Amino acid sequence: MEILFFASIVGYFAATVLQAAGVTLRKDALCRVARIIFALSFVLHTGFTIWRGVAAGRIPLANQFEFASGFAWSAAIMGLVLYARLKQEWVLMASMPVAFLVLSYAAFQPMEIKELMPALRSTWFALHIGSATFSYAAFAISGGLGVHYLLQLKKGHAEKESRMVQTDYMIYRLICLGFLLLTVVILSGAIWAEQAWSRWWSWDPKETWALITWILYAIFLHQRIRMKWQGKRMAWFAIIAVICVLFTFAGVNKLLPGLHSYAV
Amino acid sequence: MKKIIRFLRSMQFGMILLVLVIACSVAGSLIVQQREPMEYVNRYGEGAARVILALQLNDVFSSVYFLVLMAALCLNLTLCSIVRLPRTVKATAQLLSRAESAPVEHELAPQQVEKVSTYLKQNHYRLREKDGRKIYVKNLIGFYGSFFTHLSFLLILVVGALAVVTATVTDQTVMPGETLTLDDDTTITVESFQIEDDTGLLDYASKIVMRSADGMKEAAREIRVNEPMSFEGYKVYQQTYGTAGSVEIHNLVNGASEVMHLTESCFLTLDGVDGLFFQALYPGYVKAEDGTVTLITSTSGAYSDPVYDVLSVAEGSMSPVLAFPGETLTIGDVSFTFLEPTSYPGLRIKHVSTAVLGALYAVFALMVAGLYLCFFMVPTAVAVTENGYTIVSPKPSTGLIIGLNACLEEEET
Ligand code: HEM
Repeated sequence: MEILFFASIVGYFAATVLQAAGVTLRKDALCRVARIIFALSFVLHTGFTIWRGVAAGRIPLANQFEFASGFAWSAAIMGLVLYARLKQEWVLMASMPVAFLVLSYAAFQPMEIKELMPALRSTWFALHIGSATFSYAAFAISGGLGVHYLLQLKKGHAEKESRMVQTDYMIYRLICLGFLLLTVVILSGAIWAEQAWSRWWSWDPKETWALITWILYAIFLHQRIRMKWQGKRMAWFAIIAVICVLFTFAGVNKLLPGLHSYAV
Repeated sequence: MKKIIRFLRSMQFGMILLVLVIACSVAGSLIVQQREPMEYVNRYGEGAARVILALQLNDVFSSVYFLVLMAALCLNLTLCSIVRLPRTVKATAQLLSRAESAPVEHELAPQQVEKVSTYLKQNHYRLREKDGRKIYVKNLIGFYGSFFTHLSFLLILVVGALAVVTATVTDQTVMPGETLTLDDDTTITVESFQIEDDTGLLDYASKIVMRSADGMKEAAREIRVNEPMSFEGYKVYQQTYGTAGSVEIHNLVNGASEVMHLTESCFLTLDGVDGLFFQALYPGYVKAEDGTVTLITSTSGAYSDPVYDVLSVAEGSMSPVLAFPGETLTIGDVSFTFLEPTSYPGLRIKHVSTAVLGALYAVFALMVAGLYLCFFMVPTAVAVTENGYTIVSPKPSTGLIIGLNACLEEEET
């Protein structure tokens, strides 16, 4: 069944390349093929995730491999849903590479199915980690859109063009969604920690970095109101903040072990 | 004075404070916390260790400046919320009056205007007519989003601090069958404890019964990780576990016998001279082909083949013995029968006000609701006249404009 996993990585990669080629060469047919491959890869990825959940007898989000796979899956479904609603190619330009890169990262993590630690058998844990995959995916796609926005600016598109305004708005909306979900991650994590260990908050490095990421985005949301940070600034922020998200997601486990180091 | 208060309640000051919280958090996560001073010298060198200790970077989150920072954030949020509340309350009326008088921004043909009205109705906008002007409104409750968000953040800091300060926490190990009496005479009886469930899956669980001091209230529950028991302001957690050696001691002279649970090394003796020196209990062993035994020193599960490591002390000489459950060792007038070990739980007993706990949960919910209102319930009024429409909203209505344009284009094609 691992073949489904590797097939989805190849599919996400092919979709990314074809989409980039289609947009650059303005060939709609290539974009259409990219979309079909992306949707099929998503179906395979979903199949793999369901199989893994059934084989493990639990929600497949209990270690770094499964979490990364969930993150990539969330990015893919968000991309597909947004495309279905907006019919804009740039949405897929951002979500396809995110799905591919995050799933490739998953491939380098230990894949074997392990028994769930007693501390992880909790509804609050499921909410905590489930909302984290979607939150990180929203932030990562906003970062991808940030790159796309800057590239468009470089190509000579003006900030006032309606497509650019839409991209800017989408970056903001994704950050809002990611922020709301990250709030759920932090609060459900606190409730879970209190249920499991009696402490709401223990300044464990992973918790601390989730809080740093949260405050960083909070500062940005205020700067948007206070200093009218939009357009180019917003795009740069979306990219830089993703580095913080990725550090919270992967870097902390490797560099700053603590209570969450089960996720290594 | 006015200037100072204006600064203290300003968003600018709030953002400075948040940047400082980030700086403290980064320092607190990169520098190991709450260790002995020598460890900092060994890790970072003497000069750096001196700076770390002087700046309290070894315990950032309990340092004076971090607490001052939190207090300043509370002050800033309180002042900011108080000042903004009247504005928030008036916001709905202001939005409507702007919509009533705003000039038409998007001019349209009459049939397109009809299309706009239909689109707005389909998207759950409510119609209010004023002086012949149709005003469609939606999400007016969204004005309260940022107020609820800030209030909840403030309350999380305050109620969270209260929950930590007012809670008392004690850790106790209790043998199955034993009863623990707390300071207020509430009792906790551990009826049984298991490390693995019937299928062999790790599942640390204790069956406990709690009784109030007056004996009027009683409740029983199986507690495990993630499933603590709440009773009369107490929360009892399955925190840790241990496995104790169990030895039945039989006095061959008077026939008396007693079972003892051994959790640490000790000397079991009647006369102070001869007896059994209990050193350790091992969870299992591996026997090689040549008969040598290698002891397994740790396990996360139940003890599969327990081995007692003891010294038999008799007539001034000591001899090491590896004993197995069921075996008996007689030393002088005493026989020691080694029994199956007893697993026991380590309980964490927390006393916390139920009201504070409930308040904290409520405040968490308020924050999520506040953010939802902020981001996904953007207050919007659309004034529709026979010549076109105008959108009035405190935020860019890009989503609505995209939707309306799509709807109008559809009609054209
Ligand atoms: C970490 C704590 C904070 C969080 C999570 C937070 C959250 C938010 C959110 C989500 C918004 C709405 C942004 C948007 O809709 O794009 C907002 C707006 C705002 N915040 Fe904060 N905030 C925090 C701290 C502060 C502080 C310390 C101040 C200081 C005065 C402040 C003042 C404001 C103001 C004035 C607005 C504009 C509200 C409006 O236009 O309705 N916030 N905040």
